Amino acid sequence: MTHSRRSMLQTVSCGFGYLALQALCGQPVQAESSDGSLSARIPQLPARAKRVIFLCMSGGPAHMDTFDYKPQTGDKPHPGSVFEFKQYGESGLHISELLPETARHADDLCVINGMHADTTIHAQSFLQLHTGDRLRERPSLGSWITYGLGTENQNLPGFLSFNTSKSSVYSSSFLPSIYNGTPIGVNGESMAQATISNVTSSHLPYSSKEKQLDFVQRMNHQHVLQRPGDQQLESVIESMELGFRMQMSAPDLLDLSSETKATLERYRVGQNSEQIGTCKPSDFGRQCLLARRFAEAGVRFIEVNHGSWDQHKNHRRDLTANCNATDAPVAALLDDLKLRGMLDETLVVWGGEFGRPGITPGDKKDETGHNSRGFTFWMAGAGVKGGYVHGKTDETGARAVEGKVHFRDLHATILNALGLPPNELKYWHAGRDHRLTGPEGGKVVTELFA
Amino acid sequence: MWSFSTLKAEELSPEDVTFFESKIRPVLVKHCYECHSADSEELGGGLRLDTRDTVMSGGLSGPALVHGKPDESLIIQALRYDGTEMPPEEPLPEAIINDFVNWVSRNAPDPRKSQEAPIPKQEKTESDLWSLQPIIDHKVPDVKLVDWPRNDIDRFILSRIEAAGFSPVEDASPRFLIRRLYYDLVGLPPKLEQIEEYVSDFESRGQLAVSDLVDELLASPQFGVHWGRHWLDVARYAESNGNDGLSRNPTFPHAWRYRDYVIESFNQDTPYNQFLKEQLAGDLLPTDSPELRDRYLIATGFLALSAKPAKAMNNDFDMDVVADQIDVVGRGLMGISVACARCHDHKFDPIPTRDYYAMAGLFTSSETMWGLAGNEKLTAPPTDLHVLQTAAKVLPPEDFVETVILLESDTGKPKAIPKPKWEIGTPLAMGVRDKKEPADCKININGDSKKLGESVPRGFLSACQIDEAENLSIEAENSGRLQLAEWITHENHPLTSRVMVNRIWQHLFGEGIVRTPDDFGKYGEPPTHPQLLDHMAIRFQKNGWSVKQIIREIVLSRTYQLSSSVDSQLLKGDEENKLLARHNRSRLTAEELRDSILAISGQLDLTPGDGSIIRHRDILVNKAGNLHQPSRHRSVYLCYLRNSPPPELAAFNLPEFTTVTGKRDDSIVPGQALYLYNNLFVIEQAEQLAKVLQDSAKTSEDRVNLTFQKILSRSPTADEKKASLELIEFTQTETQNELKSWSSFCQSLMMTNEFRYID
Repeated sequence: MTHSRRSMLQTVSCGFGYLALQALCGQPVQAESSDGSLSARIPQLPARAKRVIFLCMSGGPAHMDTFDYKPQTGDKPHPGSVFEFKQYGESGLHISELLPETARHADDLCVINGMHADTTIHAQSFLQLHTGDRLRERPSLGSWITYGLGTENQNLPGFLSFNTSKSSVYSSSFLPSIYNGTPIGVNGESMAQATISNVTSSHLPYSSKEKQLDFVQRMNHQHVLQRPGDQQLESVIESMELGFRMQMSAPDLLDLSSETKATLERYRVGQNSEQIGTCKPSDFGRQCLLARRFAEAGVRFIEVNHGSWDQHKNHRRDLTANCNATDAPVAALLDDLKLRGMLDETLVVWGGEFGRPGITPGDKKDETGHNSRGFTFWMAGAGVKGGYVHGKTDETGARAVEGKVHFRDLHATILNALGLPPNELKYWHAGRDHRLTGPEGGKVVTELFA
Repeated sequence: MWSFSTLKAEELSPEDVTFFESKIRPVLVKHCYECHSADSEELGGGLRLDTRDTVMSGGLSGPALVHGKPDESLIIQALRYDGTEMPPEEPLPEAIINDFVNWVSRNAPDPRKSQEAPIPKQEKTESDLWSLQPIIDHKVPDVKLVDWPRNDIDRFILSRIEAAGFSPVEDASPRFLIRRLYYDLVGLPPKLEQIEEYVSDFESRGQLAVSDLVDELLASPQFGVHWGRHWLDVARYAESNGNDGLSRNPTFPHAWRYRDYVIESFNQDTPYNQFLKEQLAGDLLPTDSPELRDRYLIATGFLALSAKPAKAMNNDFDMDVVADQIDVVGRGLMGISVACARCHDHKFDPIPTRDYYAMAGLFTSSETMWGLAGNEKLTAPPTDLHVLQTAAKVLPPEDFVETVILLESDTGKPKAIPKPKWEIGTPLAMGVRDKKEPADCKININGDSKKLGESVPRGFLSACQIDEAENLSIEAENSGRLQLAEWITHENHPLTSRVMVNRIWQHLFGEGIVRTPDDFGKYGEPPTHPQLLDHMAIRFQKNGWSVKQIIREIVLSRTYQLSSSVDSQLLKGDEENKLLARHNRSRLTAEELRDSILAISGQLDLTPGDGSIIRHRDILVNKAGNLHQPSRHRSVYLCYLRNSPPPELAAFNLPEFTTVTGKRDDSIVPGQALYLYNNLFVIEQAEQLAKVLQDSAKTSEDRVNLTFQKILSRSPTADEKKASLELIEFTQTETQNELKSWSSFCQSLMMTNEFRYID
């Protein structure tokens, strides 16, 4: 029987801090080609980013009242921005009055105003944003990335999804299930209580648990030896290891009691606890603070979620509420990443499944619908151009007309930033190669990077 | 009226054709087709501009143009941004608009063919989709290995294996087979004595021993528990509404009666067609027996279990409830998604919007009774419930006081709980019944219940019309659900029997013949063995829609009894096991794992669970904290609250139960390992088993043997015994606690893949 996995565990089980330190110092823990494990791998291309924090704004944020300023032009009133915009920073980036805190980081934001997608159906577009496919369950972006790069910290999952919804959004689908996202807080579960289920128990001392695991894995190895070629059984063995290591590391990271009151206040942890229209109490501050802590600990892909930006009616009230709930936490996250020198190697991505048509100011309407033909994403960190606007929509914000970026291009750009060749990162399944960017492939938006 | 639109393309003058091709068609293609053609994601205003006929038949606002009258033509008005504004982004140049004016003035000559014209109303929707073609009794294929097959299933399977140049693997050993049969038929592990008895019986009597075992298991009341659970997944059965979108989650205190009904139906082997009729129209079925009457009423709970979005501010609430009913009937019973047609004609499958509203009329003509909805009207208005005549009246315990109370939002004081209309303890059931005045439903344009189109006569799917059936016409005074039930269960219905035999097959093989059990549409997977699927569907109907009979036939096939071991050549050649030249290894489901752990710890109570822990509680689950209670009954009797699943099951990919789930996700995540390490249930059961061991075996060696036998149904090898004793000794040293040292060992064996996977 082989002990390699167990001996590796023994090296790392007491070495979590060491590994995280190594990761922070920019040293890959282990370099090898994708081997179906979570070991960190050296990317094939020069990498600007080591990790991604995806600020997922579900429901379709109104781009024209957040980052895509559309003042009235000409004589005839037309759809456009109904909130005030100001110019911020040295770059003079236009940002809505609803986002004063985020606006402090204007010179770090790289705004993509020419986003477009294929459908205005929430579930489909949300799935496409996450997996590249809008109809079928496919591996999620975070799964592709951990498949390509592994993760820096072998004591934690490589891919976390906070305040998440359906499992199809964080599923590894046909990729080995070790690349599945780990949910923390599902279906509106209170984030203050949200944890990784069953992550601790005190019924046995650590030494006994470890011995117990040794015994189980020994049995499992014998079992799979008699059943060669069974990927499932191999995956269980891997996930038993990961689960074991998680119970050593995750509880401390989820516990915010070591954070100062000032920090909790900056992130607005526990605030915005009332539902306002479509804006749900997501404790987005806690999510952002946890995202920072897990990013520091070397998690490769972290998704945090706030919603719903789907304000059909009461556009003004609900959009204000959504912005209030997310503005300060996002700004605090950017502050902290910068302060810790992590922003240079962390790609922060903000956006949702589509945008919304504008309202014509003065016509008293307060309703919007869905618009997938033109909307906004922004990125920060990892060498993207700050205070820069890429692409644009027409004067009513209805569709992207310049610098168009499709989800598959966004995916390609993110993979490329991590040093993964976007259209070559493939996995053989059901008789053909699959890739995140789909049969059409994605185009890296090189203009976004300095 | 005489009109140019009747002119055939070849009768147009060459100038007309040139004008259309150079001035009109390119503009339509570039600026209009995105929203107004057969390929549109969402058809704008129901208007298609991609054929001559659809231009004239028009959309929801009427014909797109009037010959010779540009000023009266909608298309010209829209291009001029007069009322309607098209294209929406910006008006087209004046010159192009003038071309269109000119074109309409010339009576809009249009050479395009009309093949793609929409289906005329009331007619059959034609489709070449495989699943809508009649079920055919295919000839059983010849095979080379004539001695191999045990029945016709084997011949269908073997002929494909042979055609691919492979051979089936060995038969499974009797030890593996009995374990597989136990789990597949009753969801429990066999006891060691049962294994030994069977193995010796098999050695002397071969397949006779197998068929006796199968008959015994089919007759066990645990069969209904296990197969009922499969159906409850399809029926999106749950004991609460689930998050209404505003975080409120009211209980369904009477839903458990439907659960018991389902379990009983599988145990009685109620013919599947009758089972469906009861669930769709039980309230309309004739019966003289009050017991049967109650049973039929409970069955209609199937249609009342919807996960409803909140009523507050939601004009579409009633239609949301209907949407769920159409979905559970569409995907659950027929494997076809009708839901998309709520807003637009289905893009891929032959389901026009008219069909959706034809079916919607059946349900808008029915009253859906979910009960009091946690006494929170913003979530859902309270409804009546079926009052049962023969069920026992059960009072809450004497000391019961409801602790989950809603507060008045302005004063913060507890809201008084309204007094229900029924005496406390009255036996009630969720369900449906006909409205006093049934009526057809109007098309909701783009799914918006405030924008009504024409009324559609109540009916079914036009793509599966069953012409010869006589009892399918819906009379004005009935909802039409009874006719729906007759139509769905008609022997010529192409989907119902195929979908069910496929579900059964999937539960026995791990994968269905169609691997997307809820989607037999264009984007579902095609069947791996289409002829076999038809063969089974016909066998199923011929055997009186008996679920037990078809299961029996399948598990007695040689195909089912194959080993799951595979050599590398076959593995490489058929990675996904589409040929079924071997059996699929499968993991225990959440329920099977919990039940198995209880079975080996000696704690499992095989009697049916009584009612539900929430049977007296009309409350909001989200206000209640943890409602779950430990139980020793089989998992199906736990409380399946949406968004608050039983913690003993949640780690193993439990579905959300908000929609039809024909196939559970079986992905492996570290959360499952954490469950095995740290969940209190696992720890407690391991301790229970350790206590049993203390009492039944004296020496450590005997105890290790016994633990292996109880959990893995075999004795340990010498190596394993040594490692076990080491583990026990180590834990003893670390904890100074003998019980812990043994329970930690028991827990270890419960964690192993050998225990958690079925070969």
